Amino acid sequence: MREFLIPKEDFRVVFVIGKGGVGKTTTSAALATALSKKGYKTLIVSLDPAHNLGDVFMVKLEDKPKELADNLYASELDMEKLIKSYLKHLEENLKHMYRYLTVINLEKYFEVLSFSPGIEEYATLEAIRNILLQGEEWDVIVFDTPPTGLTLRVLALPRISLIWTDKLIEIRRKILERRRMIVKIHGDQKFQVDGQEFVLPKEEEEDPVMKELKAYRSEVKFVEDVITDPKKTSVVTVMNPEMLPLYETKRAYESLKKFKVPFNMILINKVITVGREIPEIKVKLEAQRKVLEEIGKTFSGVEIVKIPMFAEEPRGLEWLEKLGGMVLEE
Amino acid sequence: MVKKVIEDIRAFLRGFGGAFKHQSTEYIEFEERELENVFALILMGSFVGIPSPPTTLVIRLMPHMVREMHVMQRRAIDMDDIFGEIAGMFDID
Repeated sequence: MREFLIPKEDFRVVFVIGKGGVGKTTTSAALATALSKKGYKTLIVSLDPAHNLGDVFMVKLEDKPKELADNLYASELDMEKLIKSYLKHLEENLKHMYRYLTVINLEKYFEVLSFSPGIEEYATLEAIRNILLQGEEWDVIVFDTPPTGLTLRVLALPRISLIWTDKLIEIRRKILERRRMIVKIHGDQKFQVDGQEFVLPKEEEEDPVMKELKAYRSEVKFVEDVITDPKKTSVVTVMNPEMLPLYETKRAYESLKKFKVPFNMILINKVITVGREIPEIKVKLEAQRKVLEEIGKTFSGVEIVKIPMFAEEPRGLEWLEKLGGMVLEE
Repeated sequence: MVKKVIEDIRAFLRGFGGAFKHQSTEYIEFEERELENVFALILMGSFVGIPSPPTTLVIRLMPHMVREMHVMQRRAIDMDDIFGEIAGMFDID
């Protein structure tokens, strides 16, 4: 069995990424099925807003993990619902705190927020974090992801968020430092808003902003630590033997390397082999040969596996197990 | 009578000291306000077109930012006379 697909410490996280339509969902479903048959308690989660994991298993899935077979659980995350409930929660929180500030028309503001750039990525990251927090429940967690672009950004987010948070912590420290200096000479500084008076916090431990910053930092750090740990996380890329998916895989490889997320395996799906020569698909076969040749040269330290084009569509548990075996076994 | 005089001198000295005290932190207070302004501006950056930090973080910090937002608004109002403020601070008339 491939080392990077089975648990080593606590649990194993596998991200299946790739261009749209190359077979990510089928591959991740197959991998999850094969792992569960080996006795690992496996959870497969679809993060793709265009859900079709349920179609592969031929069942209806929800946010709550559903047991499909022994050791095999599946769920589909409803992003829209996630974002909505997330904003709702924050809105309540804000309304409560800002009841005396009428400058901001909260309702309008939140309407805009749900369309704010990046909110989907953050919600996805939040969802991944929640699943990882309960990682101990499973042996293997397989993520079926949205097409490469979004996924790469999500995987890069923890890093970027950490940079932001660290900078903000730095400024906050400076502010608190100044406040302490002033307090030493004048005593506690009061601040008034609409009749309400409160003392300006000056210590890091009592400043709610600093506390929130630190809490956020540790939450993000947790995700970052898991997804950059080769003992815990691996990324499997699915592609077709064509030029465009190859380019995209190269880009994914480069950017994951930059964010130190382990990139372990490339699965070339739907490789066509023909017994006799068929002139109609000669060009296609030629292109496929070229791509296969180039893959071998481009990626070092990455395992490359070819999956042939099957005569029938691989659906249903039996098929999935067989296909998953090809991914899992060396 | 003597008591009254001593009291007056004391009050005078206290006022004198207070002025000094105030002056001594003037720059730091300015710097603090400026930093608070920057902090709020960074978080609210998306409104004025500068890249903003993670939305999640911004929304989570907002409820605690009453003071900073207030400072930021005051700053925006005083913006037309920012040189006046700086000049005042450095005793330029």
